[in-house]
Amino acid sequence: MPVTQQPGTELGASPSTPAARAIALVKSYGTGDAEFRALNGIDVEFAQGQFTAVMGPSGSGKSTLMHCMAGLDVPTSGRAFVGELEIGTLDDAGLTQLRRDRIGFIFQSYNLVPTLTARENITLPIDLAGATVDEEWFDFLIGQLGIADRLTHRPSELSGGQQQRTACARALIRRPELIFADEPTGNLDSNASTEMLGFLRRSVTEFGQSIVMVTHDAHGASFADRVVFLADGQLVDEIIAPTVDTVLEQMKQLGR
Amino acid sequence: MWRITIKGLMAHKLRMLLTALAIVLGVTFVSGTLVLTDTLHNTFTGLFDKVYQHVDFEVRGTAAFSGEAGGNAVRKPIDESLLPQVRAVPGVAVADGSVGGYAQYVAKNGKAITTGGAPTIGTTFGTDRQLSSLRLVEGTGPKSSTQVVMDEGTAKKYHFAVGDRVEILLPGPTQTFTISGIVRFGSADNLAGATIAAFDLATAQRLFDEVGRLDTIEVLTTPGADKAAVQRSIAATLPSGVEVVTGQTVANEASGAINQALGFFSTALLVFAFISLFVGGFTILNTFSITVGQRTRELALLRIVGASRRQVFRSVMLEALLVGLAASLVGLGLGVLTAMGLEALLKAFGITLPQGSLVFAPRTVVACLAVGVGVTVVSAISPARRAVRIPPIAALASYRGGTGESSRRRFAIGMIVGVLGMLSLGIGLSQPAIQLVGLGAVAIFVGVAMLAPLVARPLSSILGRPLAAAFGISGKLGRENSMRSPRRTAQTASALMVGLALVSTISVFGASLSRSATTSITDAVSADYLITGSAAGGPAAGFSNAATTSASQIPAVTAVSSVYSGRFEFQRSISSLTAIAPSALSSTVRLRVDSGTGLPALSSGQLLVDTTTARNDHLRVGSRVKVTFAETGPTTVTIGGIFTPNSLLGSYVVSEEYFHAHFAANTLPIAILLRTAGGASPATTAAIERGLTDFPNLKVQTRAEFEKAQQAQVNQLLGLVYALLGLAIVIALIGIVNTLMLSVFERTHEIGLLRAVGMRRRQVRAMIRSEALILAVFGAMIGIIVGTGLGIALSDSLKDQGITDVVVPFSSLVVFLVVAALLGLAAASWPARRAAKLNVLSAIATE
Repeated sequence: MPVTQQPGTELGASPSTPAARAIALVKSYGTGDAEFRALNGIDVEFAQGQFTAVMGPSGSGKSTLMHCMAGLDVPTSGRAFVGELEIGTLDDAGLTQLRRDRIGFIFQSYNLVPTLTARENITLPIDLAGATVDEEWFDFLIGQLGIADRLTHRPSELSGGQQQRTACARALIRRPELIFADEPTGNLDSNASTEMLGFLRRSVTEFGQSIVMVTHDAHGASFADRVVFLADGQLVDEIIAPTVDTVLEQMKQLGR
Repeated sequence: MWRITIKGLMAHKLRMLLTALAIVLGVTFVSGTLVLTDTLHNTFTGLFDKVYQHVDFEVRGTAAFSGEAGGNAVRKPIDESLLPQVRAVPGVAVADGSVGGYAQYVAKNGKAITTGGAPTIGTTFGTDRQLSSLRLVEGTGPKSSTQVVMDEGTAKKYHFAVGDRVEILLPGPTQTFTISGIVRFGSADNLAGATIAAFDLATAQRLFDEVGRLDTIEVLTTPGADKAAVQRSIAATLPSGVEVVTGQTVANEASGAINQALGFFSTALLVFAFISLFVGGFTILNTFSITVGQRTRELALLRIVGASRRQVFRSVMLEALLVGLAASLVGLGLGVLTAMGLEALLKAFGITLPQGSLVFAPRTVVACLAVGVGVTVVSAISPARRAVRIPPIAALASYRGGTGESSRRRFAIGMIVGVLGMLSLGIGLSQPAIQLVGLGAVAIFVGVAMLAPLVARPLSSILGRPLAAAFGISGKLGRENSMRSPRRTAQTASALMVGLALVSTISVFGASLSRSATTSITDAVSADYLITGSAAGGPAAGFSNAATTSASQIPAVTAVSSVYSGRFEFQRSISSLTAIAPSALSSTVRLRVDSGTGLPALSSGQLLVDTTTARNDHLRVGSRVKVTFAETGPTTVTIGGIFTPNSLLGSYVVSEEYFHAHFAANTLPIAILLRTAGGASPATTAAIERGLTDFPNLKVQTRAEFEKAQQAQVNQLLGLVYALLGLAIVIALIGIVNTLMLSVFERTHEIGLLRAVGMRRRQVRAMIRSEALILAVFGAMIGIIVGTGLGIALSDSLKDQGITDVVVPFSSLVVFLVVAALLGLAAASWPARRAAKLNVLSAIATE
């Protein structure tokens, strides 16, 4: 049964290896006096089978951290790993493959391809790889996400919540080692948000998915196993087993 | 608004560059054509003015036919006795007579020297330096009946020098001459590629069978003489049928004749230039449509902050105006360079042109700017109107606007325009009125382009299916993208549609023409061999009469017919009369008589006309008609028979005997038809060629070879037309590049996303290429369908003009489709590479 499988383990990473980590990661823009460091030598690890929330005020570098660790952006210095793989060593083809096979993305603005149906959007990474769809896993996902009856619709015919759930299914279809979610509930109403966060939580608990979610919402962060706080491009604090209150308290301290 | 327009233009340099390129190319074509033809016009006018600058008067026969005047008019020679008579007129300082006729050089390798269309001129070398148009550059003039002077162009090209002996083909037997001198025609090596052989007067008269006669007398007046009075005195001495005109008149007539040909050349080129611009118009329309669409939010924002509809409209039109103006100026400049290049090219092909500087007339500037700016601005009107309809609310993120104009209305208009076009085309073809045909074709193209969005979605879907199967998700996405905006797909494809439609039209027409040419030869001629001369065109076309005699002495030959052709006036219009000897007619020509008789009528000196002429002129067997001959004047002739059109015989046929009675004795045969024992075979061909070794200017062809040569001629012409249409295709491809480029920019975010979820660069390229392939094949298919229809209509309407078979060359059309597809792929390569190179992160970040 797909439910019992541990994503990542089949790819040979030992349980002790973090799903992703960054070592002394620096990302700077501009030079000289105008230099701005979005990431200022950050060290961070995201454990396997854990739901980690990344929080911080605007400009703290949380999105940049995610982009650099997912191979979307190139850090100025430092190293980033997905599993054992150092992504700085990869060329474009390698990065493409990494994104396609080992990482899933969920964006704030859904980012579905408008010309494709929901089903085609979900299986897009598999089609791009030229692989075959694991129908059992597919059915399981759409059942869990409640979009089984929307599969033939195009994104424009779906509600925001349905679009984001489709994007979520797309992120999970390849059973990636790690999912990066960038403000996944930013465009959703509170009901849809809660549903989406609940699903992400379940996917971690029930089949050991590793998730890193960038958010600025304390309610969203409370679904995570661990919250890390960023300020000025550095890791400043973390909370294990957060609640809405502890997160809000911490945010207040950071002077948001 | 002005500043916003400029800033917008600067912000999208690449987009504007591609748009402008379509106009630049079209205007270059216009400008190049005008500059080149103006230059040639000026050069020839200057040349003839110079050649005739010392000739005060010319005495010559009046134009034989009332409807004809100028340089090409048929004139009867004048009597030699007029020369002393003119010389005796007070005020005449010098007068020289001259005659002209067919004289073709034989090169040192024994082959006749051909000119590729220019005449092979035989003439007189005048004794007076001022009167002669020929200027000696080396040696002396001809001093005896065995001497000739040669033009410098021929001497240089074929390595002849003063003192060399040269064989010359003449109306009579071939003779060998010694070159006594080398001449130029005015300031030129020769006259635009024509060869010149000049003899002394007595020799020329003998060679051209004009003993006792002259073509013209050139007159120089004494210094200080009252020229008008001298002209009057000369005129007073002349008999009727002879006139005296000024040298300037002759110069004007000579350059007029050449300029008429140039005018045709220029019009033909301009037609292709306008086709290119028309296609360019589609590209511009499309670009502006897309950019207005992309700028919806920006334009709406302008409306929110207070811009009026009129200001928005003006902003778009101003953009078009600036692009059009800049493109036209660049095109104008490039055109001048092109004209210089073409002139050099003509020279490289051995067409020596007289010296002359490039003519850059103000009219060229005005025409280029008007056309370039006009096409751009007109093409931008519809997008500008769409921009005006964008409501201010469109600036808000949640707005999802409709596409504006109701598609039903557009289809209705497209339908009406298309039908009107067909009507105009139909009337134009039946009239025939070429302007109506052109107008009809343009209207059909516009109509089809307006209707094309209707089929764009289903057709793209069908065309894309194999791509989706072959390239998986990339092909599928390409297909979806081309289906996404049927209007954009249709507009982009329309430019290619026009190009391919014209190519297909020409292809159908050419195939029909080619087939008809062969069928008509098979239908017209039963001879085994056709013998024609290699000297092309001009009044001195043809070959020696002696060839006929030689041919009849070849053992295998059983029947010989010489074919003659001459101009005469029939019912007040100048036509071409064919003559053939009745004796061998039945064994060499397939004459199918509709009414009256064939051979008996010819033998008794009657005229045969074809059914088309009989129908148009309401003629019956036994009708008596007025005809006029240059040599013998007006007379009447009885119609003895009416025959089914025959491509060899033309519309009017008389016997050889009747012909010779009414045409000058030196009129030469244009073809010899042979019937041989046992038909055509390599051995017989060799025997005929052996029998005609004295005439290296003759081409011996079996009927099959002759047919093939005719086809080759048609194909050569088609090749030229295809090449000229090539520019329109290039412009259409620029349109595809432009649209794809704009689509890539527009979908930056989407492409970034695809890359983020794991699409390889190769897959991105495949996606863009699939879209291009669909666009190209879509446009090509519609174009080929429309063009085939036009080609069939065109060919069908020329049934009476000898296009008897309408042929659709399917294999060529398939080739066009494949080529269009490949060109579409090529057009995609740059946008595809660009899309593949998009930075994933920044692509996602642009929201």
